[in-house]
Amino acid sequence: MGLFSDTRYLFVRYLKKLIRNPILLFFSLFQPIIFLLLFTQLLGRFSSIPGFTEATGAASYAIFATAGILLQNAFGSALQSGTSIVADIDSGFLQKMLVTPVNRYAILLGRLLSDAFRVAVQSIIIIALSFLPFVGVTYVTGVPGVLLVLFIIAFFGLAWSGISLAIGMKTRSSETVFAIGGFITFPLLFLSTALVPLSFQPEWIQTISKFNPISYAVDAVRVLMISGYDWSTILQAFGVIGLVGLITLSATVYQFRKVVK
Amino acid sequence: MAEIISVSDLVLVYSDGTKAVDGISFSIKKGEFFGFLGPNGAGKSTTIKILTTLLKKTSGTVTVAGHDVNSGASDIRKLIGVQSQETTVDGDLTGRENLMLQGHFQQMSGEVLKNRVNELLRLVGLESAADKRARNYSGGMKKRLDLASALVHKPQLLFLDEPTTGLDPQSRNAIWAYLERLNKEDGITIFLTTQYLEEADRLCRRLAIIDFGKIVASGTPMELKQEIGADSIKIALENCERDKTRAKELLESLEGVSEVVYVGPEECLNVFAKKAGPLVADIVRAFDSSEIRLLSVTFSSPTLDDVFLRHTGRSIRTEELVKAPSQMPGGRR
Repeated sequence: MGLFSDTRYLFVRYLKKLIRNPILLFFSLFQPIIFLLLFTQLLGRFSSIPGFTEATGAASYAIFATAGILLQNAFGSALQSGTSIVADIDSGFLQKMLVTPVNRYAILLGRLLSDAFRVAVQSIIIIALSFLPFVGVTYVTGVPGVLLVLFIIAFFGLAWSGISLAIGMKTRSSETVFAIGGFITFPLLFLSTALVPLSFQPEWIQTISKFNPISYAVDAVRVLMISGYDWSTILQAFGVIGLVGLITLSATVYQFRKVVK
Repeated sequence: MAEIISVSDLVLVYSDGTKAVDGISFSIKKGEFFGFLGPNGAGKSTTIKILTTLLKKTSGTVTVAGHDVNSGASDIRKLIGVQSQETTVDGDLTGRENLMLQGHFQQMSGEVLKNRVNELLRLVGLESAADKRARNYSGGMKKRLDLASALVHKPQLLFLDEPTTGLDPQSRNAIWAYLERLNKEDGITIFLTTQYLEEADRLCRRLAIIDFGKIVASGTPMELKQEIGADSIKIALENCERDKTRAKELLESLEGVSEVVYVGPEECLNVFAKKAGPLVADIVRAFDSSEIRLLSVTFSSPTLDDVFLRHTGRSIRTEELVKAPSQMPGGRR
């Protein structure tokens, strides 16, 4: 009972903090939205390269890239997650919680769930914008497909916020969390199938792409948009995200136990 | 009366080898108002962290509210209220929301919690600001909110780590008045640390003076002051650095002087004596026949600063400026 109710109270606390600082939401949405509205237009003629439609099944570059941008958003905001725990350590709020009988794991779980929720909210905004005529995304799988996409993205965000939380607790520095987040976002994004189809990539990038967890998540979102319920791709994505999550959340729990003692 | 805290031979060594608490023993009875007085870095906060289950002791025995701090940590947490040295309110939440959240942490809910929160807002005079975000509160308001959040579950034992550090005199007086009421009217046992002499003197019925992780003296403020000899005489010299040794010898040779302590280049010497009145004339006469020139002779009843000076050879006031080393995770102790 303690774990469940304490998690709920802490989830609500983080949510209130998020809603009362809308500027944060705006800033983390800014980049993916620029990508969605400008970058896809800039590379609009990419889709007329022979073989593009055969390789991707997408009628336009914007439709192809939206899946990647959705994951970029999840990835980017999950990597900021560690800054909030640093703030709680620095202000002494974490200690204030620790001298009460509050369930220790609720502190972590409330944080993770609110991160996943935040990613889902941001994704809904991006999905809504991707329905604009000049982006033109549609989902062959309809509303259930959109919900499944949201679930995949939130799950993906949850897995990656683990790494950020672990770094935050280890270094106790928001700057470091931001720097590492910013440092790895683009390399990992560019070395995946997020923005360029696999067969169009140079061979060495293809090799990395095939092992990049982002590629798996992007491919699953993409099939739900373009081709339908391709369960082998979807389940593979869940498997890979689950594996990433297991590693990052183990690191988080390990660091958290050191903080809580 | 039963003991609510008992500590014996407590030692805490940080991982870098710093011995922050060096074998202290004390006990506090139910209903007492007890204080730790000492400069920054003396080991006050470290002791509080151990008593409030935040930090694991290196050795010794510590019992709080009938539970061992190691095996009974979760039982202790239900019974104690803690206000840490830094004010920790969530600025994004309103005052009321801060208290509600703290109540939830203490497993309270519903009408009981709502009523308790209203009661506390009234107690600390934050009713009119209750639904404003705590970010916009003044320093004194935040401290009061923090104090209220430590009280939400009606703890029998309250730990306050430097509750008024950094506050203006008016806010400090307000906090003192709440604390006295809590102790007298509600019978809450209070353990407070402070580096302010006035605070220890006014609030604590019993106190321990702590320095470099050791308790150097303990008793009621009155006892401590009497113990060092009834009075003290502060002596300033025209050239303190040059004459201090000779002046000290001269003073020590006078009848009725129990101790002479060097304070610093400004205040120079402090003479402790059972009866200072007649001694003042002797001192002036003695200096008159030597070539040491007096600047001033001030007679005063002993303060806790004199007590600290007597036991440590240093003045607590000059220590306030020394920055405490930080090696706690998070840079605090």
